[in-house]
Amino acid sequence: MVDNIGIVDTRNIISAIAEKFGIDMSDYASTILRRRLVHTINAYTCHSADDFIDKVKRGAIDVDDFLYEMAVETTEIFRDPSLWRELRDRYLPEVCRTPDCQIWMPGITTGDELYTLEIVLAESGLQNKAKVVAGCPSNKHIENIKDGGLYDPKKIEVSEANYTRYVGKSQFNSYYTMVDNHAKMKNELLANATIYQKDILKTEANKQYRMIIYRNTLLQFNIPLYEKVIRKLTESLAIGGYLIIGNMETLEYSETGKKMQVVNENEKIYKKRID
Amino acid sequence: MSDYKAIMIGGSAGSFQVVSHIIAALPANYPLPILMCLHRLKHIRSGFVEALSIKSKLPIIEPHDKEPLKPGRIYLAPANYHMYIELGNRFALSTEDVINHSRPSIDLSFFSASYNFKKKLVGIILSGANKDGAMGLKSVTDNGGLTIVQDPKECQVPTMTQASLNATKVDYVFSTKQIIDFLLKLA
Repeated sequence: MVDNIGIVDTRNIISAIAEKFGIDMSDYASTILRRRLVHTINAYTCHSADDFIDKVKRGAIDVDDFLYEMAVETTEIFRDPSLWRELRDRYLPEVCRTPDCQIWMPGITTGDELYTLEIVLAESGLQNKAKVVAGCPSNKHIENIKDGGLYDPKKIEVSEANYTRYVGKSQFNSYYTMVDNHAKMKNELLANATIYQKDILKTEANKQYRMIIYRNTLLQFNIPLYEKVIRKLTESLAIGGYLIIGNMETLEYSETGKKMQVVNENEKIYKKRID
Repeated sequence: MSDYKAIMIGGSAGSFQVVSHIIAALPANYPLPILMCLHRLKHIRSGFVEALSIKSKLPIIEPHDKEPLKPGRIYLAPANYHMYIELGNRFALSTEDVINHSRPSIDLSFFSASYNFKKKLVGIILSGANKDGAMGLKSVTDNGGLTIVQDPKECQVPTMTQASLNATKVDYVFSTKQIIDFLLKLA
């Protein structure tokens, strides 16, 4: 069991990953990166950073599995109920009135945010008014999401409490079935969703989205990468469209982000006014 | 002026009053940043800063992700995020899984602060009903920082302080008043 890794180990792993998989992790926020690397080293039962590097170099680690282990897995369904109420009452009806409305969620892992959005759209009668396009770091994430996720009882309890605070129209337990003491979300909720696997920086950006929900994912980047990702997000957003980030994230430290107008400071909803 | 760069305080059940006393005693020109990781309800985002600010002469801030850390301020880990200090003295927040049933986790805040500040960090553990913080305080010791534990005899709930004393050799076991005197002398 590896408890921690130092700067040198981290650098060596980053360069082995870049060489073998062509994935550049050098601009990831250092604390989260080190913690995810420690998790991943242990997930492959390696006894040291060097042991892990050796496995990478020998081709004993599958890139999709690696990306799956590295992703920050956790959040909650209906995390921040006040945001989802705001989207339900104001912003989703507005964007869904535009023809061919597409909503982008480029950074999902567990599907919590995707299932939340789909429940909000379904309860508002808007599921056929918008297409949802969701990006995952690995194919394994996509399989899990399409399979309804597998939520342990504790996580469902937290999500259920969030849904109660959101004040939905239904019962939260009508959206999942229990299988082996775990909850599987009903995947018919995803009828209007397309889920793909691609690095956000490699996606096409041509102002195609009316709304982008990208919460708590900028946390994983240091400033240069954060800037690049924000540029991609804003270039992908239609003029008049909305970008939503995590409530303790900000666009303030990004030159590109400064062009966005804050329309709700508490929930971090930004509007694109100009190119 | 001491060589310390920051003070980090961890607390849980029974720590609110102690923290309030400490904050009230610090002058408006207190130079060191104070980083607080206190267990709080995950779903209640507002109200805590306001409650702590009533008696404080220093600004109390819940930092945004990537916000630069500045002296003379008190920072409080926001609800439902872990709070880290990155090299280069910026905050980093994280939604990683709960640790010791907690997000923010005191251990994780202490791990990153001690990694960043090494021997220039003062770590303080107050009253609490959970062992979160014990391994974090050990990391402060291991990185050469200075460690203080609130006297378990004075704590409303001594579990956290006792777990810290069991986990590492601490420099001082202090009453609230002694903690305040010590912090004032650091300035």
